[in-house]
Amino acid sequence: MGVTVLQAYPMPENKSGAHIIDYLSKRLLSLGATHAGQFLVDCETFISTPQPHNGTPGRAVHVLHNSEYPASTFSIIDSGTGKQVSLVADSIFDLLMLKMTNTFTSKKQTKIESRGARFEYGDFVIKLGSVTMMEHFKGILIEIEYKSCMILAYCWEMIREMLQGFLNINVGKDFPSYFAPQTIMTAMGQQQMHAKHNDMYEPTDTVKQYLEQFTNYRKHVSMHGSVSGGIQGGLGGQQQQPVHMSPAPVMGAAGGFGLIRP
Amino acid sequence: MALVSSARESLPHAMNNRVLPNLEYLLQGSILESAAEHLMHRLKGLCDNVDTSPEPFHDMEVCMSLQQPNSNQPLLLRVRRALGRDAPFQIRYLGQPEVDQRRPTLVRSCMDCACSNGILEFLTEMGFRKEFEYIAKGYMFRKGRMKITVSKLIKIVPGKQQDMANEPISQSYIVELSVVAPMGQENVGEEMRVFAEQLKPLVQLEKIDYKRLGSMP
Repeated sequence: MGVTVLQAYPMPENKSGAHIIDYLSKRLLSLGATHAGQFLVDCETFISTPQPHNGTPGRAVHVLHNSEYPASTFSIIDSGTGKQVSLVADSIFDLLMLKMTNTFTSKKQTKIESRGARFEYGDFVIKLGSVTMMEHFKGILIEIEYKSCMILAYCWEMIREMLQGFLNINVGKDFPSYFAPQTIMTAMGQQQMHAKHNDMYEPTDTVKQYLEQFTNYRKHVSMHGSVSGGIQGGLGGQQQQPVHMSPAPVMGAAGGFGLIRP
Repeated sequence: MALVSSARESLPHAMNNRVLPNLEYLLQGSILESAAEHLMHRLKGLCDNVDTSPEPFHDMEVCMSLQQPNSNQPLLLRVRRALGRDAPFQIRYLGQPEVDQRRPTLVRSCMDCACSNGILEFLTEMGFRKEFEYIAKGYMFRKGRMKITVSKLIKIVPGKQQDMANEPISQSYIVELSVVAPMGQENVGEEMRVFAEQLKPLVQLEKIDYKRLGSMP
């Protein structure tokens, strides 16, 4: 395992997702990368009903799986106040979630996944994922991992060059937004700026980047509710509601990430 | 090329094949501190790993509960952590005991899940509240798939972090004989009953009827 950066591929107009994936795969293969299996990252969100009488806000528990870590279940809870706590557990945790269906109900219509081919090139692993929600194509996510390094600050330039050279994506010099400095609360209760790009990278970081991107795709749907609302309304008779997420998708304002690192 | 599947898809498969959830078969008893030494000797003789001394353990357990709407039974999860050893936290879900009186042991569904150390904060954010906590310190023996623990339960005095400050709940040791096995293994109970017979002169291991203990969580 090493530092991983997740990047949304800007979708050009009048091109299909399959066409882009095909173009990127061909490009990778002809530049010397080898095809090495498939991958899948999926996310399901459980929502609790707010209980105003005792002041409990509605909470969202995101449960994610990553085929790179097949025995683990990753979960991230959004308390509704901007605070996030993450957990890595055995995959039997999914069964425990099912025990709580009275309190936490699954938002089936927001099940989202990124699935596709996995390529290797030396110390790099490149994954081209098509994102689908309820069988609807949403976009393309490119995951790039540099296996020999655990700290982003030391290898960002190399990853960036890889993204630009191999995949022809224009990437700015700054660290990706997930690694941007953020305000955290120290154990003493003081606010402090924390430079995430110097942290030791962990598998949870990959999953959190996926959640950030998935959240954006889901938001996109709730903004253009009419696009899928009709289809989903017909399925379960349920009203399309915007998914509860913390107000700020980008960690800068949400903060607290540094605190919950194990 | 084989398509990868998510754990989400393999779980229903495991449940259909009755690999999950597991069942816990349990017998419990207690022994006075003065007699515990005899029991330990007996167990050393009866159990596997005769060459090695019994495995000591020192765990802290916190029971968390979640009030569920449309149900008067709260959901209980037990979080266990080894003190003085670096090991993942464990969460355990225990179901209601089966009512079948003919079974020689208590039988309940059981799910064990290792997790990272943010679990208590995670459960608190989910709305769980702390129900009770204690420390168990003692020894574990193994015989085949049976697990025998002899341990002392220690009350945690709030505000005192030191182990020495905490008081034992009683001068007796709790003795537990348990097996966690997949469903449909009927002979487990019998195996345990036979083993419990062998300890009879020292400790009476019984199927505890939790309903008779009142509204204990």
